[in-house]
Amino acid sequence: MLLLQLLASGIQTGLIYALTAAGFALIFGATRIFHVAHGATFALAGYAFLETAVAGVPWPLACLVSLVVAVGFGLFMDAFVYRPILRHEGSFFTVFVAAFGMVVVVQSVLELAFGRSFVSYSSTLTRATAVLPGLYLAPIFWVIIAVTAAILLLTGVFLGRSRAGIGLRALSENPELLRAFGLSARRLSALAIALGSALAVPGAVLMAATSGLQPSIGPHVMLISLAASIVGGIGSLRGAVAAGVLLGVTESLVVSILDTQWSESAGFVLLFGFILFRPRGLLGQPVPR
Amino acid sequence: MIQRRTLLAASAASAALLLADRFSAAQEAGSYIIGTLFPMAGPNAEYGTIFTAGAQMALAHIAEDKMLRKPVELRAEDSQGTPQGGATGMTKLANVDHAIYTLIGFTGVSKAAAPIGQRNKVVMVNGGGVGPDLSGLAPLFWNVIPLIDKEIAAILPWLKAQGSKRVAVLYVDDPLGNAALQQMTAALPANGATLAGSFSIAPTAQQFGAIAAKIRDSSPDAVYFASYGAQQAQIIKQLRDNGVTQTLITYSAATIPSVRDLAEADGLVFTAQISDWTLTDPVTQRFVKDWRAKYNADPTTYHQNYYNAVRLFGMLAQSLEKADKPVDGEAMRAELLRVRRFALVGGEGSFDDNGNIAIPIQINRMKGGRAEKIG
Amino acid sequence: MTAYLLNLATLSAIFGILAVSLNMLVGYAGIFSMAHAVFFGLGAYAGAQIALQVIPDVLLAAIVAALFAAACSLCLALPALRVRGEYFVAASLGLQMLASTAFSQAQALTGGIGGLVGIPPPMLLGLDVSSAPAFLVVCLAFLALCLIGIRLLMRGSFGRSLMALRDSESAARAFGKDVAQLKTQAVAVGCAMAGLAGALFAFQEAFVNVESFTLEQSILVLAMVIIGGVGTLAGPLIGAVLLLLLPAGLSFLPFIPPTDIGSVQQLIYGLAMTLLMIFRPAGLAGRSVGQR
Repeated sequence: MLLLQLLASGIQTGLIYALTAAGFALIFGATRIFHVAHGATFALAGYAFLETAVAGVPWPLACLVSLVVAVGFGLFMDAFVYRPILRHEGSFFTVFVAAFGMVVVVQSVLELAFGRSFVSYSSTLTRATAVLPGLYLAPIFWVIIAVTAAILLLTGVFLGRSRAGIGLRALSENPELLRAFGLSARRLSALAIALGSALAVPGAVLMAATSGLQPSIGPHVMLISLAASIVGGIGSLRGAVAAGVLLGVTESLVVSILDTQWSESAGFVLLFGFILFRPRGLLGQPVPR
Repeated sequence: MIQRRTLLAASAASAALLLADRFSAAQEAGSYIIGTLFPMAGPNAEYGTIFTAGAQMALAHIAEDKMLRKPVELRAEDSQGTPQGGATGMTKLANVDHAIYTLIGFTGVSKAAAPIGQRNKVVMVNGGGVGPDLSGLAPLFWNVIPLIDKEIAAILPWLKAQGSKRVAVLYVDDPLGNAALQQMTAALPANGATLAGSFSIAPTAQQFGAIAAKIRDSSPDAVYFASYGAQQAQIIKQLRDNGVTQTLITYSAATIPSVRDLAEADGLVFTAQISDWTLTDPVTQRFVKDWRAKYNADPTTYHQNYYNAVRLFGMLAQSLEKADKPVDGEAMRAELLRVRRFALVGGEGSFDDNGNIAIPIQINRMKGGRAEKIG
Repeated sequence: MTAYLLNLATLSAIFGILAVSLNMLVGYAGIFSMAHAVFFGLGAYAGAQIALQVIPDVLLAAIVAALFAAACSLCLALPALRVRGEYFVAASLGLQMLASTAFSQAQALTGGIGGLVGIPPPMLLGLDVSSAPAFLVVCLAFLALCLIGIRLLMRGSFGRSLMALRDSESAARAFGKDVAQLKTQAVAVGCAMAGLAGALFAFQEAFVNVESFTLEQSILVLAMVIIGGVGTLAGPLIGAVLLLLLPAGLSFLPFIPPTDIGSVQQLIYGLAMTLLMIFRPAGLAGRSVGQR
């Protein structure tokens, strides 16, 4: 029964990782911008939700506020940080350092505005009850599964069917082709960032309810997102989601064999192994050597 | 290119020197400098804010009472919670700000700063960390908070009275957590109880769902956890969310707002030094009254500790001034060891040869966002 | 005041070595490592153990630390040979996270999170170099050695092959360069210098624990290199000095209330990082290096 329980809590953690990583995977897959500041988007989205919800705003409205904040910040990063740097042909790491600087800025702003403590959204949905003897599940477990499924479905339809969605996929593969079809690469990458930032919202809201937030959560989110995107295969949203679950389950199951302290590193062993032996990830394209 | 670079370096250096000059001039004006070396940003910054607030209240009281001939000034350094930040910050406090008395909080920071403070004859007072390795770090390193061994010794009889036969221990794998585990393992048999299981975590861990499952699997009557900072609230919430319904027990690190304000923390049992706000001695009365007036809330143990730390400075410096002795590190240590017992908030505290305080411990239970004394 | 400035200068020299060594990987070999603090840490632990167990001699500790870090650099060379770009970045991140756990678990060697305390004052071939000015001179000497070493190395055939490799791996391969060997050597040299810096750091702080060798430290060193200017000799040094002096300088700002001091400093620091990258994407000392 312990194994089943570990599997269940692994899936719950893993799906939250998956939701966390989905936005990053989308942005990175389409634009190849190493959007480290996704962690900042995530923290902003979480705090926007939490602060408005605690102030008495009904939760759907609070989610909407969170959405506006997340997309706004994503577009801001695109217009004022990434565009100018990429215009000067700044290298991959220039983008990285600039984005990391913004992670630090957002963290400080959150600390100054909302204090430095741990905050969480209290909801009865997160309380687990015994469904079987020894197996405890919380109602939020099902919510998380439903949300993830809905998001996979919606983004799948959008990327596969709509003109803009197809453009997004073409963006990563052949930007020249886009120009021939009269699509603006600039607009499309802004769209990718807006969409990816919006995807941070469900993850942030669910994280606020399950494990809580603090201003310094940004780097942690970045690590999860990056690991899931790589393990899943760069450019594959479904891969990132699958990888998120895989990471969560690994972290959870490893506890039954090894000292509990290794739980977090187990995910990174997995990442390291994938890069060495299967760099294309779970569902990605072969990597040019 | 070369010229511009040299120019840049030169102007940066001269700007730094200018600033530094201005500041050393300011402190010449004749006031006592108390330095603080706390984490002021990042995951543990909540503590820095709390520690500073307690110290500030004591400073206000010292000034009101005109306890000292010279004014006392507070200089803050951000330790960044890292040893390197601690060493650099202490070097600055000692050599640039010329602080004679410093308040410090975290173990890694303390260990890196202690030799530097000792070399510069600066008193360092810890009111936050409770790891056993903080005892006797340096002659001028004192603790105004009882260390973890005293807290665990206080909780054991209570556990026995509750009839807890199986205790699970969740601990951060550092000297503090290991000390807690060792002491528990050694003392539980005498209680007629056993260790149901021990679970180590990294200080950065944030997901405890799997650990909750393992804890439940070990079927304990009570769960003791030793962690600090934001992690505590995450542990409490996730253990509760994942079906751990047993009594959760911890030590004084839980006396921070993020734990107090957490709905899931209701029923949490924790030890801390006596912080009975109904005490009638004038020191406690005044502290509690002014605190409530200023913050519209009850103070926590950490507020009390750093208040006491600064109050201790006031008392030491006052008697040194009266005896017309210089107020410096060595003289303050001599005075501390001569007097030994001081009237502090929460009652009388007595110091041993290592400068560790002994102050009675009480057991509290969290109820409706307030700590209630239960033993 | 002097003691404080000496401390900052010594730290600048140590981080200078660290940044210069990372630049060897990032700037000359095109290997974007986010695990540099690991090798800094390995060197620091090795140096500290030598000082604690054998003899507190800076030279011996530095040599042992450098060799040890170089030996361990295979962990980094292995993924560097197999993948590139973002994949390698992720691999090095994984390595960094693993090493942090290993550092806190291997209590016998590293003291765990409690760390190693009481590292004795440094000697150099029997001379006492524990005073702050003397140790600064030692650190500066090591820094100079590293700079000279890199300059000689980069001027020679090794450097030219390495840079050819960075600019186009397939071209280098076509010219008959042994890519695997070149990369492994570059990683070993860079990590050895990081280890050396670690040994100096252990003596300077007299206390080491895992909190000094985390991902944050790796990112800080990386930022030093990028902000200073990738692939230049002076750039990483400028970056190291700037990123160490910036927080130090900010702590002199008189108007920040004590409870907000950390956040405001971090705010300015982060903003400076972003703005510098927007307005000088190639770094302070760099020419426009183009896309890599």
